Amino acid sequence: MAESHDDNPALFEDDDNRAVYIFAPAGHGGSPQQEKARPVKRRKFTSKRASSSSAAAAAEVVREGEAEMERAQTTTAAAAAFPPLFGGKESVEAAALRRQVFDTAWPVLDGRIKNVLREANRTTLEDVSSFIRDAEGDTTRGTRIPAGFIITGPNIASQDLLFEQLSEALGKATQARFVRLRAAGVPNLKAALKKVIRDATAQVSSDGGGGGDGDEDAKVTFGRDGRKYLDYDLEGLHAFLSSQQDPLKRVIVAFEDSEAFESSLLTDLLALFHSWQGRIQFSVLFGIATSVELFQARLLKSTARQLFGAKFDVVQADLVLDNVFKSAIAGTQATLRLGPALLRNLLDRQRDQVAGIRVFISSIKYAYMCHFYANPLSVLLADEKSLTRQLLQPEHLQAVRTLDSFKAHVEAAVDARQLNHAQSLVEDDGYLVKQMVEQRQKKQDYLMQLLRSLHLLTSMDLVPSRFTDLYVSALAGGLDLTPTIDAIKRLGADDVPALINRLLAAIQTGNPDLDLPGWEDEAEDLISSLTEIRDEIEALAEQAREKGQQSLKSKFTAQSKILRTTVVAQKVQLSQDTAKLTEEDKAFGKTIDSLVDLLTHHIYSEPIDSLFLHQAWAYDAEAPYRDVFVPRPGTTFERALTRPHGYLGCECCSKTTGTLSATLPTTCILYQLYLETGSLVNVADLWSAYYALVGEDSDVGLGEREALVRFYRGLAELRLMGFVKQSRKKADHVAKVKWLL
Amino acid sequence: MGDSLFQLPDELLFTTLSQTFPCRDAQIRAVATLLHPLAAPCQNLVIHGTEATGKSAIIATLLQALQDDTEKDQPLLRYVIINSIECITARHLYESTIAKVAEALQWQGAATRCDSVSQMVVELSKMLKYPSYPDNFRFVLVFDGIDRPREAPITLLPALARLSEIIPRITSVFIATSPPASFLRTSFVPCIEFPNYTKNEFVTILNTTSLPTAPLPTTTIQETTELWNRFTGAVHDALARAASRTLPSLQHACTSLWPRFTAPILAGTHAPREFSKLMVAARVHFQDESLLDPGIVAIQSYSSSSTTTQAQAKDNTAALPSAPPSQANTPRKVQSTTTTPSKPKSTANPFVSATTTDLSTLLPPTARLLLLASYLASHNPTRHDLVLFSTFHHGRRKRRGGLSVGMGRGGHRGAQSKHRKIARKLLGAHAFVLERMLAIFTAVRGEWDPKWLDKDVSNREMDADIEMAIATLASLRLLIRVGGAAAGGVAGDQMDRGGKWRCNVGWEVVRGLGRSMGVEVEEWLVE
Repeated sequence: MAESHDDNPALFEDDDNRAVYIFAPAGHGGSPQQEKARPVKRRKFTSKRASSSSAAAAAEVVREGEAEMERAQTTTAAAAAFPPLFGGKESVEAAALRRQVFDTAWPVLDGRIKNVLREANRTTLEDVSSFIRDAEGDTTRGTRIPAGFIITGPNIASQDLLFEQLSEALGKATQARFVRLRAAGVPNLKAALKKVIRDATAQVSSDGGGGGDGDEDAKVTFGRDGRKYLDYDLEGLHAFLSSQQDPLKRVIVAFEDSEAFESSLLTDLLALFHSWQGRIQFSVLFGIATSVELFQARLLKSTARQLFGAKFDVVQADLVLDNVFKSAIAGTQATLRLGPALLRNLLDRQRDQVAGIRVFISSIKYAYMCHFYANPLSVLLADEKSLTRQLLQPEHLQAVRTLDSFKAHVEAAVDARQLNHAQSLVEDDGYLVKQMVEQRQKKQDYLMQLLRSLHLLTSMDLVPSRFTDLYVSALAGGLDLTPTIDAIKRLGADDVPALINRLLAAIQTGNPDLDLPGWEDEAEDLISSLTEIRDEIEALAEQAREKGQQSLKSKFTAQSKILRTTVVAQKVQLSQDTAKLTEEDKAFGKTIDSLVDLLTHHIYSEPIDSLFLHQAWAYDAEAPYRDVFVPRPGTTFERALTRPHGYLGCECCSKTTGTLSATLPTTCILYQLYLETGSLVNVADLWSAYYALVGEDSDVGLGEREALVRFYRGLAELRLMGFVKQSRKKADHVAKVKWLL
Repeated sequence: MGDSLFQLPDELLFTTLSQTFPCRDAQIRAVATLLHPLAAPCQNLVIHGTEATGKSAIIATLLQALQDDTEKDQPLLRYVIINSIECITARHLYESTIAKVAEALQWQGAATRCDSVSQMVVELSKMLKYPSYPDNFRFVLVFDGIDRPREAPITLLPALARLSEIIPRITSVFIATSPPASFLRTSFVPCIEFPNYTKNEFVTILNTTSLPTAPLPTTTIQETTELWNRFTGAVHDALARAASRTLPSLQHACTSLWPRFTAPILAGTHAPREFSKLMVAARVHFQDESLLDPGIVAIQSYSSSSTTTQAQAKDNTAALPSAPPSQANTPRKVQSTTTTPSKPKSTANPFVSATTTDLSTLLPPTARLLLLASYLASHNPTRHDLVLFSTFHHGRRKRRGGLSVGMGRGGHRGAQSKHRKIARKLLGAHAFVLERMLAIFTAVRGEWDPKWLDKDVSNREMDADIEMAIATLASLRLLIRVGGAAAGGVAGDQMDRGGKWRCNVGWEVVRGLGRSMGVEVEEWLVE
């Protein structure tokens, strides 16, 4: 079976893009050229896939997405277009254009995101390098090892970039050799030292390193005198550093996931570094996911005394997420808009699960890829020059006419008695194309309006809510101004001019995070009205002050009804009284009203799905994202084992959904029987049940020997997939391991 | 040659040494006598004493001095010091010994490979036994920290002790913390103990080594010295007698207490001669635990502006009381005494807010839930699972309340409750099977996580996010795999549902975690 797979690279290429993998072992002759063209890494898939037939088939759905993504990444350079859509009727040019749009759209964002991430770590980097530099001259340090504790948060895996940057920055700032250790790579002291020495010596020249990988104690030569050192001997490192005429002899060792290291290993390493302290200037950095106190609790006190530590905080993941969100999703540079449902899902996952910012970024990328790969209308996102009339095929127009948003648009036109417009849209291709082109400008206007509104709203700084939440809810159901308006109404006379000034400043400067330029020229009337209101309120406040009034009250802020208690003849009387508002107060209330009107007029946004043709530039499908980034292997196994014909594509068992049938593959039959058992499974019973189903008396009529072979194989496969395991409680029984999906 | 048979080293040598190492005269003289080639050189010598009593430093300096002293026209003494802590394996120890000996003798062509003690003996014999050396020539091998060798065979120490039987020129010096009786398996080994310093010695040493160089303002240097004298005595009585018995820790305590102790003098409220008043004023500072256990964070908050950093680092302990309360290693007692708890120095990074040590803020909800579920799985016996988590019979699951009441009133209290006296949560965590924990997780998730119930049913099974959370918890050592790879059966994969795990967080943490999610974990624990 394995051979047949290996010989069929073409088959894989096709299958990778299907929703399910259909197992079709019939021999297609593979050509050697294709074999060569295949990326190296795919071999791994092949061998895994061939390792066990049904397990591989079942896992296929999970792998599908990954494979697709990988393919897209590895073959970006290839000029080949995406496969034509519309059942193959899409022109090659259109497919190529989609590809091209993707190729131009993503790198822009990628660059911006990288920038944001790099920028986020900048302060930490500066702090750490100045600490390392200063610690040397610090008199209170004594012989202790300078140790930086970098609080990274639980996503150690996503701190790769940070340590990469640290290695660059510290190498430059302190002329130190930087060694990164990960717990998985260094199981014991020897391995850790080997890595330290190898990395520290290899960074400058390669005349040293290259020791053996195994447990064998290889010898390496450093320095000029030709003495050989054991490859875990720090003496060797010392000799190397001396021969490099490195006066500082600084080595920085970074423990990326310090929690995962054995305490004893850390203790040993630190004791060693400490004992070498005078000769090699060791500094250590710890990436800490939980807290320094928990980390310290795991160290011996004598080890703790050897450290001279300082704590550094990495920018919190929330803020990084916000910044990435602003520049990559909300910003004007983003070609594709992600829909509210998908965004909500992504954000929730960031908050609830252990998912780093890297996952978020790849999710965005995946959304882009899916959109341009699978949506023929994404071609409309191309710029004016490349999107010619010839490119739009009848199929494109047909597709547009089937859209929900088209239907809604036409119906709206009919309701508005624009019958000609509606009719031409449905019947006249040329008219539709014209409308489609016009729609591009409308989309731009919509986005501008949305972003400006959001920018104004956030710069008012009245309601504490995060930009991400605002953006997502604005996309989903339009902007909700109620809390803001309430807050405005409660403002005092001093705060309103400040608020207006903030708004004016926001209009003037725009928002660099969103890549939103200022729009003074376009908002002249808004600016003039705002200034007017501000002046009016200031004048009113001045008037009130002249009259000796404490401060202006509006009808919203002043307690309009006051409860009075009067004691008359030893009885308490309660009476309600309306507080009096002065003329100025009333005028102030009116001005606030006009301000609210003005703002509600200018700050608004519609839901994204109310726009005609939004399907072309907005992507809001959750399912592909979940399938790829949150796979559910349990469900996949279960599905494959209960309904194998979905994968095998055979006729015989298509009717047997969830029931036993002799024609099912052995593993599937055993799985069905397995579901009915208790926690301990008697193998003999299982065998007799199985044999009764497929034995000589049944339709399949297998001989005992063959049935037994198949039975053993099926049971072994169940064990391999982790359903059963050997039980020590009873002889001839296996234990049921898996209950949940 | 013409020298007398017994000749003690020069007296001048002792004077300089005892200036560098005060209060160690007797030991220095004894060691010098036993190592000097013309005095009474011995074969093996054991130097022992607790940490920070000057063993290694004195031996190194003394040997260098003796080597210089006896160096006339011919070398009479050579030595090497091998630090066993720096030797990873026994082979490493042998090879570095040979390399260092060869270096000390300027010997060319020493063997580079040496796997065993016997091979080392051969190599050492080549270098030391057969070539001719002047009469009385001694070679001293110092094995520092020899009681803590890594991966060393048990025969290593006796073998090293017998080196001098094969090569008579060798003196082996073993520096150890406290040698067990006859650990060298040979008789007549002179032992010299380096005892810990007494109070007077401590004060003398602190006077000579860490006397504040600059006098306090408004006082003379004379007054400062006197004050320091009495101050160190007081610190010794307060701290060193009971807890911090080593010189460095006492030194650290003195230097970090000094600024706080003299603060009233700087403020002008007390004169330097009013020692008892100063003591009373500084009494609270003497209760500061961080003097004894300084912790690993020396600089509380690091800002990139180097000037403040330097100042901060210098009086970092003085700044301790004003550190933010979120830093757990700041002693609670001190905080109540500080008059004006100033804000922590704001870092240059505006994003950084005060970090908390609480796990509940560090972990996302799913991971927290998993941790709680695994705590329950670790601390509840399996037989109670059905009672606690089953929704089969009752609409609501019975919790601890119902169970304990039933057991308390029912006639059969059960023999188990009698002989289990210790509360289960005080016992260590038990191992559980991953599948069981996941089952508990799904059961409690519906109860604890309102969002989970809103989800549509198809989304409610184990997905990769949960497995990722488990892997993260495992890498943070909050969940620990027990039994290693062998227990897994197939390959010991982390995701194997049959694998055994254990929860590695304590009750306090779990209770806090539970409360952060609005769950009283206690209600879910049987007994």
